[in-house]
Amino acid sequence: MAILITQDTKVLIQGITGKEGSKVALQMQNYQTKVLAGVTPGKGGLEVHGVPVYNTIKEAMDNHPGINTSFVAVPNFAAYGAMEEAIKAKISLINVLTEHIPIADSAKAIALARQNNVRIVGPSSIGIISPGIGKIGSIGGDDPRGVFSKGSVGVISKSGGMASEVSWILTKNGIGQSTVIGIGGDILVGSSFTDLMEDFEKDPQTESVVLFGEIGGTYEEDAAEYISGKGKAGRGKFTKPVVAFISGLFAETLPQGTKLGHAGAIIYGEKGSYKSKINALESAGVIIAKTPDEIPELLQQTLS
Amino acid sequence: MLLYEFEGKKLFKNCGINVPQSQLISGSDDRIISIKSPLVLKAQTLSGKRADSGGIVKVDRGQVTGDSLRQLFGKTINGEKVEKVLVEEMVEIEKEYYLSFSYSTETRGPVLTFGEGGTGAEEKGAKTYPVDILQGYSGENVPEELMDTAKKLWEVFTKYDCELAEINPLVVVKGNPSTSLRVYALDAKVILDDDADFRREIKFPERNLFGRPPTQAEIEARKIDEGDHRGTAGSVYWDLEGDIAVIAAGGGGSIVNMDALVALGGKPANYTEHSGNPPREKLKKLTQIVLSKPGLKGCWFVGGTANFTDIYETLMGFVEGLRELKPKPVYPIVIRRGGPRDKEAFEALKEIGKKEGFDFHIFGRETPMTSTAKIIIDLAYKGKGGSGKGKE
Repeated sequence: MAILITQDTKVLIQGITGKEGSKVALQMQNYQTKVLAGVTPGKGGLEVHGVPVYNTIKEAMDNHPGINTSFVAVPNFAAYGAMEEAIKAKISLINVLTEHIPIADSAKAIALARQNNVRIVGPSSIGIISPGIGKIGSIGGDDPRGVFSKGSVGVISKSGGMASEVSWILTKNGIGQSTVIGIGGDILVGSSFTDLMEDFEKDPQTESVVLFGEIGGTYEEDAAEYISGKGKAGRGKFTKPVVAFISGLFAETLPQGTKLGHAGAIIYGEKGSYKSKINALESAGVIIAKTPDEIPELLQQTLS
Repeated sequence: MLLYEFEGKKLFKNCGINVPQSQLISGSDDRIISIKSPLVLKAQTLSGKRADSGGIVKVDRGQVTGDSLRQLFGKTINGEKVEKVLVEEMVEIEKEYYLSFSYSTETRGPVLTFGEGGTGAEEKGAKTYPVDILQGYSGENVPEELMDTAKKLWEVFTKYDCELAEINPLVVVKGNPSTSLRVYALDAKVILDDDADFRREIKFPERNLFGRPPTQAEIEARKIDEGDHRGTAGSVYWDLEGDIAVIAAGGGGSIVNMDALVALGGKPANYTEHSGNPPREKLKKLTQIVLSKPGLKGCWFVGGTANFTDIYETLMGFVEGLRELKPKPVYPIVIRRGGPRDKEAFEALKEIGKKEGFDFHIFGRETPMTSTAKIIIDLAYKGKGGSGKGKE
């Protein structure tokens, strides 16, 4: 039945009158996703691709009480306010496309989301797709059908482009996906590899998982702990096969602190290095792909 | 952005943290030092290991400060030329601590790190404590005499949108009975969150991470995105030493491809990425900058299967850039891309290559992205790797 996006997903778009918001509204509808409403302060009463626009989330919820998912596509300076509004409205899944959100604002939104028991995916997320069911965000562009196909592999990626590339490599080799998630490459993310693997663990459709990670931070190391059952108390153990690809060796040859790629792909000191991630994942029994194109073959090996 | 010590200390002072009396000297001026000796002369460089490289000099009473200064200004520390020196009064240290606020991917929020001071403070067992960003920090987990300074450092951290605000060492000085005058920040390491530049009132000049001034190409490339928010192209651009020009797509895919190129022995002439949906003009400008370097042996235009980048527009921008170049590039050009309008783009490219005589090798989404690293390396360095027309 896939995760995060199901038949019951009903979406609100924050920033629907903007360029990205309106483009994605149309894409989502074309991929049979139910978009019930949009919000842009001061633009209430308009329609975007047939979707009614409201000034506030409260108004939108009053008129469409079924909304259970929000897609945030507002400028970075307005992102905290948008996330706060969605969290306080208790929308259970908030997918944030906005890039370059100040880290303090992300930290506040993540803390507030935890308190209110709602989930943020992103910021800087390309989106989420459950092939054959629906999608949120830009993932797959206008026509995801050629790249994504329904199946049993869950994909979690820090990179939006690589979420798509990895899915395409799988599809090309006859391997479908249950749900593909771009978690974003920021330093602080609302949902980490581990957070989503917990859902994949429970999802009967998902038989194995592919992780696309990068240098920087500790989300890959944390996933390794979950896989080996050594993680936080009460979290249990991830039991399905995992193939991972880690990028960023090149970046480690440049002076520390050099900005390239994603905001989170930055190393100070030893923490978060390529080696640290590979070692952690390998000792947890994860198979490491040297190139993205090896992933299908390695997945077959884990299943046989 | 990583700040110099003197810049960090300015922020500290703004929030009421004590710092030693100091005077900033620039290389050119020969000013009289107005602070009484003994003094500490501190080279202002961004690299963390100044002391090990002779960047910090103590001058006792009676010694000639001028000579020491001249020596410091002649120095290069970890590749960085010393252009400013901070002259500070020396304080007598009773106790040393390490204190910082930063963000942790483990707690996904701010953390306080506190422990003994000096070099290698982290290894000396400094402890990390999560801070609830919704509540703020009010002096927890540090000794009472440091509480006030810790609260002020939290103010620096939040007020100026820092990724890191670190004092190492934070010292208690001898002799002064008044608590408010006993605790000093002897060093400052501050990293600002660039994504919050739009709301930070205080601005700092650009600096050189590579220990050299930015190249003309770096300056030009970074201008491409200024005032135009449609996609990005060039705001991340670094000149490197190699001879294969790279125009890579996507913040994730670009690194994957660079990893592949370098692993196989390819020497990139630059790093750059473009993402989102940049218009044609941006790619045109970026192409002109990337390919204006002398001594190139090949060009690699590479990206994964895009979600929403218009492949036709970006590749036509690339072609428009190519057409402007003099002399006309004769080296092999390997293109691997997938995504919206890719087929249309490849048809056009084949025509243009034939008509205008560019050595295009075109690969679509059927060809593994990283496998084209080997193709460009073979073509650029060994003059082999195919007949000149790639498969799609």
